[in-house]
Amino acid sequence: MSELPSVNPWLDPSQKPYIQIENVTKKFGDFTAIDHLNLDIYKNEFFSLLGPSGCGKTTLLRMLAGFEKVTEGRILLDGEDISEIPPHLRPINMMFQSYALFPHMTVEKNIAFGLKQDNLPPNEINQRVEEMLELVELSDFAKRKPNQLSGGQSQRVALARSLAKRPKLLLLDEPLGALDKRLREQTQFELMDIQEKLEVTFVIVTHDQEEAMTVSSRIGVMDSGNLIQVATPTEIYEAPVNKDVADFIGDVNILRGIYKGQNDVGTQLHSDDSDSIVFATQEVGASTGDEMWFAIRPEKLEISKKKPKNQHNILKGLIEDIAYGGSFSTYHVRLDSGRILKAIRANRVRTEEHHLTWEDEVYLHWEPHSAVVLLS
Amino acid sequence: MKKFGNFNIAALVIGFSFLYIPIILLILFSFNESRLVTVWGGFSTKWYGELMQNQGIKDAAWVTIKVAFISSTMATILGTIAGLVMTRFGSFRGRTLFSGMIYAPMVMPEVIIGLSTLLMFVALAVDRGVFTVTLAHITFSMCYVAVVIQSRMSSYDDSITEAALDLGCTPFKTFMLITLPIILPAVIAGWLLSFTLSLDDLVIASFTSGPGSTTLPMKIYSMVRLGVTPEINAVSTILVGLVTLGVIAASIIGRKQKQQTI
Repeated sequence: MSELPSVNPWLDPSQKPYIQIENVTKKFGDFTAIDHLNLDIYKNEFFSLLGPSGCGKTTLLRMLAGFEKVTEGRILLDGEDISEIPPHLRPINMMFQSYALFPHMTVEKNIAFGLKQDNLPPNEINQRVEEMLELVELSDFAKRKPNQLSGGQSQRVALARSLAKRPKLLLLDEPLGALDKRLREQTQFELMDIQEKLEVTFVIVTHDQEEAMTVSSRIGVMDSGNLIQVATPTEIYEAPVNKDVADFIGDVNILRGIYKGQNDVGTQLHSDDSDSIVFATQEVGASTGDEMWFAIRPEKLEISKKKPKNQHNILKGLIEDIAYGGSFSTYHVRLDSGRILKAIRANRVRTEEHHLTWEDEVYLHWEPHSAVVLLS
Repeated sequence: MKKFGNFNIAALVIGFSFLYIPIILLILFSFNESRLVTVWGGFSTKWYGELMQNQGIKDAAWVTIKVAFISSTMATILGTIAGLVMTRFGSFRGRTLFSGMIYAPMVMPEVIIGLSTLLMFVALAVDRGVFTVTLAHITFSMCYVAVVIQSRMSSYDDSITEAALDLGCTPFKTFMLITLPIILPAVIAGWLLSFTLSLDDLVIASFTSGPGSTTLPMKIYSMVRLGVTPEINAVSTILVGLVTLGVIAASIIGRKQKQQTI
């Protein structure tokens, strides 16, 4: 067999999880922040915890770091129970949202701080600090104080400081939240490079779904203290488990309807928004008359002035709004039923011929395999 | 440049004269040749020389400095702990009551503080002297330190402490290496503040002092009762100078700290 680590270790039952969160509950007084949560994270993963604010993702991260004690359950790191170990004894480092640089120390002293706590010999400390400064490309800033750095530079110092001790696990709390869009995108790629180069397991907390999609090996979507779905970015996007996940990750059109049964095309649904039956390839276990939903991503809706040849999955409407985005445009189409659907079309043709404009009567069509059937 | 209106200038002059004319007069007359306090007889520093010969004043000054040094140091330690604890514990039942109780001595009449500490010393049969004055000064000046520290801690990012712990630093070492150096300017400002408070306290010292523990303000007060002499002006001038220096130093350090946090 190959020596390479498995690309998808979570699919391989012979792989041992690196972090095991077992039935963990965290209560603050009467408030339950985390409710019997189970999660396995594998070595070298770039795992994102994603969710709206107050969903418990930061609490979970702080429990991994040791700043919050678990109320119930336990957390294992590499097979060892770390639930009761105080933060300064855990082989885990964290990068803070506010960066938390020590204001009275220079950049190099900040980075060296963790190494000094381990009583490493001075020449080794210097060498590692230099390595880290090179890694984050800040060698010229070694003697600066944190208040002489820009936001992006502070962010990289914080990253270097948290990586200097070569932790088994690096926790990142909204690491890019304070950066502007361009810098954030650039830094996302740097983070991925660094993570691959150093082979550290990353757990990142973010509320930015695009960021999570870009950087993660897997995403855990959280809401009210529990995980709703844990899957790869593609699975989360293309096969969300329910309406909440579908809605939280990216744009989505959701059609409500009544289950009509199964035929050779797939699941049949009678929707208030369509005159005819709509189809999805996906098969579900339901009985006639059940309420369910079709989720269709805007880019999977074809929009055209000509009526498509297909018989099914066609909706008619008027263009109400257009958001021109350069490479693509988003059209808001009002259906006869009054509902507004979003459709995205790439602007591949420069001529006006293809042009769609306000108040145009258009047809929306989708392939049966483009829709996801959701039961809740 | 901003233009000052006539009214503003007048208000400024009147306000500051009201505040500082008495002190300026005192300083001026400390350099008076004449023995008569209110009659100018030419410039001289002879009263300062005379002062150096006055054993009573020198003793009182020594007591004052000793008391001020020890009490401000102790008050700074206790006040810093109090300020830290009040911010660190976040909100708990009775927090407002607790922080209110720390600040209470600031608004409590000094006579009451003096009297109550005196009663306590009498009840405990403690001989009054330098020790009791020092204790009383610690009591009333520590709340000022607590206030300074607490206001500093309100802008202190707790994740800095957590970052140090996270990097393997023990809680005690974190305090010594991270928290204390960052809030050090506030600690020094608190020390200077309590030092000057102790230096110029008359009321509480009068209540709690005993034989051999006459402080400088007490000495001045008792000398004045026998008539104001240029010597008193001279010693007061020195005291004013010391207090001014302390206040200026405290505010400079405070400003430096503000710059560091931004």
